[in-house]
Amino acid sequence: MSPLPPAAPRSGAGADRLFRLVTAGAAWLVLILLGGAAASMAWGGRLAFETFGWGFVSSRDWDAVSGKFGALVPIYGTLATSIIALLIAVPVSIGIALFLTDIAPRWLRAPIGTAVELLAAIPSIIYGMWGLFVFAPFMAAHVEPWLNDRLGPLPVVGVLFTGPPIGIGLLTASIVLGIMVIPFITAVARDVFNAVPTSLKEAAVALGSTRWEILSRVTLPYTRSAIIGAIFLGLGRALGETMAVTFVLGNAHDLSASLLMPSNSIAAAIANEFTEADSELYRSSLIALAFLLFVVTFLVLSAAKLMLMRIGRTHGRTH
Amino acid sequence: MPLRRKLADLVALLFAMAATLFGLIWLVWILWTTLAEGAAAITPALFTQMTPPPGSSGGLLNAFYGSAVMVLLALAIGTPLGIAAGTYLAEHGRNSRLAAVVSFLNDVLLSAPSIVIGLFVYELVVRPAGHFSGYAGALALAMILLPIVVRTTDESLRLVPNQMREAAFALGLPAWRVTSRIIYKSALSGIITGILLGLARIAGETAPLLFTALNNQFWSASIAQPLANVPVVIFQYAMSPYDEWHALAWAGALVLTTFVLGLNLMVRFFARKGSK
Amino acid sequence: MIELLDRLAAEALVMQSPAKIEVRGLEFFYGKTRALNAVDLTVSANAVTAIIGPSGCGKSTLLRTINRIYELYPDQRASGEIVIDGRNVLDPRYRLPELRRSVGMVFQKPTPFATNIRKNVAFALSYYERLPKAELADRVEDALRQAALWEEVKDKLDASALSLSGGQQQRLCIARTLAVRPEIILLDEPTSALDPISTAKIEELIHELRKHFTIVIVTHNMQQAARVSQRTAFFHLGELIEVGDTPQIFTNPHVQRTQDYITGRYG
Repeated sequence: MSPLPPAAPRSGAGADRLFRLVTAGAAWLVLILLGGAAASMAWGGRLAFETFGWGFVSSRDWDAVSGKFGALVPIYGTLATSIIALLIAVPVSIGIALFLTDIAPRWLRAPIGTAVELLAAIPSIIYGMWGLFVFAPFMAAHVEPWLNDRLGPLPVVGVLFTGPPIGIGLLTASIVLGIMVIPFITAVARDVFNAVPTSLKEAAVALGSTRWEILSRVTLPYTRSAIIGAIFLGLGRALGETMAVTFVLGNAHDLSASLLMPSNSIAAAIANEFTEADSELYRSSLIALAFLLFVVTFLVLSAAKLMLMRIGRTHGRTH
Repeated sequence: MPLRRKLADLVALLFAMAATLFGLIWLVWILWTTLAEGAAAITPALFTQMTPPPGSSGGLLNAFYGSAVMVLLALAIGTPLGIAAGTYLAEHGRNSRLAAVVSFLNDVLLSAPSIVIGLFVYELVVRPAGHFSGYAGALALAMILLPIVVRTTDESLRLVPNQMREAAFALGLPAWRVTSRIIYKSALSGIITGILLGLARIAGETAPLLFTALNNQFWSASIAQPLANVPVVIFQYAMSPYDEWHALAWAGALVLTTFVLGLNLMVRFFARKGSK
Repeated sequence: MIELLDRLAAEALVMQSPAKIEVRGLEFFYGKTRALNAVDLTVSANAVTAIIGPSGCGKSTLLRTINRIYELYPDQRASGEIVIDGRNVLDPRYRLPELRRSVGMVFQKPTPFATNIRKNVAFALSYYERLPKAELADRVEDALRQAALWEEVKDKLDASALSLSGGQQQRLCIARTLAVRPEIILLDEPTSALDPISTAKIEELIHELRKHFTIVIVTHNMQQAARVSQRTAFFHLGELIEVGDTPQIFTNPHVQRTQDYITGRYG
């Protein structure tokens, strides 16, 4: 049973270094791709930026014939649809998260949770088709006339709701976008609600708090950073959403105060027009739009990640 | 308890239930629509004929083929790179600045607009080549897949208990062996889950293909040319004024949705079973 | 009676045993925090040395310096010397695979690899030595016999290691370590996660293994230390307080702090 002298192992430090090099290289690739995309958009858009300068951002023009392009309408459409989408999605998501973590009987939680997550799995083109063929007509037939009649005449708010009930437009697109964003916010909210230490909740219960009071005074304050992070995550997704919005926003380069009117978003404009763009300036303007979108989503998503990191929940979902 | 508090609680309860119902209604509505419209258009011809010219009927065979080819190519490119990068993040995450930065930016890339990625590949590949191609499409899809695989690999590897790493190192094995033989085996199901979910995601992506693979009405065996694919066909047909094209678009939508959701559910089911 | 004689004979042997491991001036840091302070300790060959002390006293830390497993963590540092067979293993020039082949470690929580029993045992072995299939199988059987696990698994070597019970898994981990024929075996609270019966089996195993290996065991269970070891070292707050023959430490400790710990004044 005497031990053998240690033999030299067959491979060692060299293979280790190679392994580390390869994996580090792959990691660098992720960085390079991201940087490359940003640089590529900036480069492609330089003609437009040079031609129009800062006026690009504030101009309402969009005329292929005369070669005048401005980003104001797509920017407005992108922001308006995203913000309204969030106004819908955030309360709904928190409501669903509350339901799934506190109210629903245990056997119901997994199936309903999965169902909500399926909303995220549905390809956005399907949302677009459903929006175009089913939801927009529905809005045109049942909702928009009502809005036009009831809310249109109101003093300040009314101007938002006056317009022809064609279905296609800011409001419809915002609603579809809102539905798409729900599962992302819900997933994070559900995770962090579950992560609130039971001792905190139990202490509140012992003091006689109602469910609502636990949510508003214990859970939400505790998870505030993460919820805001989730909201930013939803915003980032909404800003970049292409296909669903392309189908139902209308591709109209008009700026109008009414939500019932068609409009345009950056992603939709690019999707609709890029292959038809017949001049360098036209193409460059669209790429310039893409650059703006990229920068804004980058900032929003980075802010989201920072906030989610604070509570230790570094993610939404990968799907 | 005063009535006001009880009332607030009741309102919250009802709101949560209403919110859940709200979310579910949309899901059911969308799926039902896809099923109803799509089922009406499902014929055997769907899988045997090519995409037709305007006004006539046909199938989606070339689109299915093109999508399959690009998705598989994207998997072939994105999976090894993603696993490698994810391994770096997990194994060196503690003591590497690069790892921290990459991890952060990877998650940003994950949620970034896919149309920007499509444009990037356009500038990178399509413009210099002078034409659209299936390769460009596959590349764009690979770029969308990459951050998903990186993240899930990173997470799965981190789940492997540190003690197992230490036990392997204590036997004297070098780092690359510990990772490749021991850690990967332990994290395998998590990594595969990530790949499959990434597959489900890229199968349904349209925007990145709009400017890369574009579309092709005919059968194209060559990947170096514009390649037919399901999402772009659906897009073009749905936006067209032709009824036959609309029907085909719905049929394609149904097949696509079934595939994507089916894969999703299957993966979740097995993931849940495995973790029990 | 025979057990007693056996024990006395063993003790006698130990007193004459050469030193296998000599720890000289060992200091250890987690970041800026010092966890071991100028430790000098001699571990005898072919004997079981137990390291005891309250939580956080540095006993696991000491163990983890002997096979330099702490080097996996960049903010952990050790200085001083640990001399095994005349060579200082803390010297960066001493190659890790060589060190870890002669110094094996078994951890508190059984960590079988996610593969079958045979592959678990053969794993490191096939990395170090290129063996024909038959010889590999023999070495696997050897190791499993030494770990007192052979009889229980000989018919199911292809079964997943995860299907074994906790005690069996731990013995599998021991077999895995034994397969590469180390000279020293480090045990970090090997039975604290196990039931009493498995614990007894492993203590029996340690008793057998001692004849061929040098064993260092960290345990928070004083009775266990008294049962299995010939030498005992008592640590407190990163310092070696007292070391001596086990019977002496437990019946007649020289230092008051040792006495206090033994009698349960603090835990």
